[in-house]
Amino acid sequence: MKTFWFVLTILAIIWYIVVTAYVGFKGIADIKQMLKRLEAQKIEDDENNFQ
Amino acid sequence: MKNFNWLLDGSIVGLYLLVTMFAGLYVRKYVGKVEHFLVAGREMDVYLGIASLAATEFGIVTCMYTAQNGFKYGFSGATPGILMALAMLFVGLTGFVIKPLRDSGVMTIPELIEKRFGSRIRMAAGIVIVLGGLLNMGVFLRIGGQFLVTVAGLNVGYLEIMMTLLLIGVAVYTIFGGMLSVLITDFLQFVVMSIGLIAVTILILYTVGWDTLVNTVEINHGAGGFNPFVHPEMGWQYVAFNGLLNLAAVLTWQTTIARVLASKDSKTGQQIYTRTSFFFICRFLIPGIWGIAALAVLGNATDSLDAMPQFLAITVPMGLMGILIAAMLAADMSTDSSYMLTWASVIYNDILAPFRKGWSEKRGLLWNRFIVALIGIFLLIYGLWFKLEGDLWTYLGLTGTIYLASISVLLVAACYWKRANSWGAVASIFVSAAIPLGFLILEKTNLDLSKQIGPYYSGIAAYVCSALAMIIGSLLKPKGENTI
Repeated sequence: MKTFWFVLTILAIIWYIVVTAYVGFKGIADIKQMLKRLEAQKIEDDENNFQ
Repeated sequence: MKNFNWLLDGSIVGLYLLVTMFAGLYVRKYVGKVEHFLVAGREMDVYLGIASLAATEFGIVTCMYTAQNGFKYGFSGATPGILMALAMLFVGLTGFVIKPLRDSGVMTIPELIEKRFGSRIRMAAGIVIVLGGLLNMGVFLRIGGQFLVTVAGLNVGYLEIMMTLLLIGVAVYTIFGGMLSVLITDFLQFVVMSIGLIAVTILILYTVGWDTLVNTVEINHGAGGFNPFVHPEMGWQYVAFNGLLNLAAVLTWQTTIARVLASKDSKTGQQIYTRTSFFFICRFLIPGIWGIAALAVLGNATDSLDAMPQFLAITVPMGLMGILIAAMLAADMSTDSSYMLTWASVIYNDILAPFRKGWSEKRGLLWNRFIVALIGIFLLIYGLWFKLEGDLWTYLGLTGTIYLASISVLLVAACYWKRANSWGAVASIFVSAAIPLGFLILEKTNLDLSKQIGPYYSGIAAYVCSALAMIIGSLLKPKGENTI
């Protein structure tokens, strides 16, 4: 059981470092895309309200 | 005052708070409709979803109870994390419940429940979800404050003022930006929180050492510190209760499900679950190691909840202390904002459903913001007077069970059992709420009896009886009667 917890701890730390870096990088692109789509929706809604 | 330096560490914390507030308030201009406020216009993609889910599900309170588990049970204390990771992986890979839920296009779980069991059940489900959720969240503020004052070496008298100011800050950006602000700040908070958690864990492993951690667990807990089934305070009932609890939480915990509902489509929702699953092991194991290290350095005479922050206060050096506090503030703020918004969404969408027919988007937004503010006030009041009995994780598990048991049964039945109906749903909600609430009352009125029963048997009973109530209630109702 001691080996199990040692391996799991090492895996957890490595996984966490890799995911933080990867998600930190890719997440910015997701935010940009999301705000872009919401901006487009907002313009569309404003136009519909105006008509 | 311990290792906290106002100039260096204070500047790091101050900078983090400024950036968060700016980002949270900046996106408020995109909120024009209730759908933007509650589910970010359903525009969330995978990586933002992973960051948001991980940040939301890790608050100071999480760090405290997982470290307490490490202190009290050794490595076995991380068992709930392994069970939750397995549940997330299973649900993410199969789409069990979450696929039909996201495909239905609803904004909250009770909205789907209404489609199958009627509007009264939707309201009842909304009430138990909010009741369980708010009782659960009620302890967050004080526990978070306890951690921060201990680690920074501040006067305990400042706890209330500090946490009130923090809550006001979080409430301001949540009230204005809703889910959009929550997602953007969650992302920032995920990055800051992760850097702090990783750096402190590496420091602990380097200074305390793996062998010392293992020896400490062996001396204090014996074989039970490595295997939950042989730990005298855990056993099969602990594993079974946590297995049921974590599967139900993965399926129905409103803050987790909110990420599925805000995702672009069900495939994205499933990917978020699958790819975040391993995080739940880290969520229990990393602070668990902090708890074990606290046991190694401070000894077992220390209070199990206070040990980890006391240990960090004397171990983490200046500079890293600022990053640690910023990380923990990040963890706490992301959890608070998301929880406030989530329970507000259920109150607005489900409990107020019969009263808000014909409301404009503007009025809907105003009410949502008002409800978030009310929840903030509740948190301040409840958080200041409630005294915790037993360990923190068990309290959270029990209060969560008030709704987790019945709502998970209702959801599974709604998605996969044609014979399920409103009689079964009512019976299930009643039984699921009555058992944990009864146990909480028993803890305050007859401590000896409550200790004899124990929280795990009570928790298991809530899940089993809730499922039985659904089956019996549904079978008793004559066919053809759809609503009460």
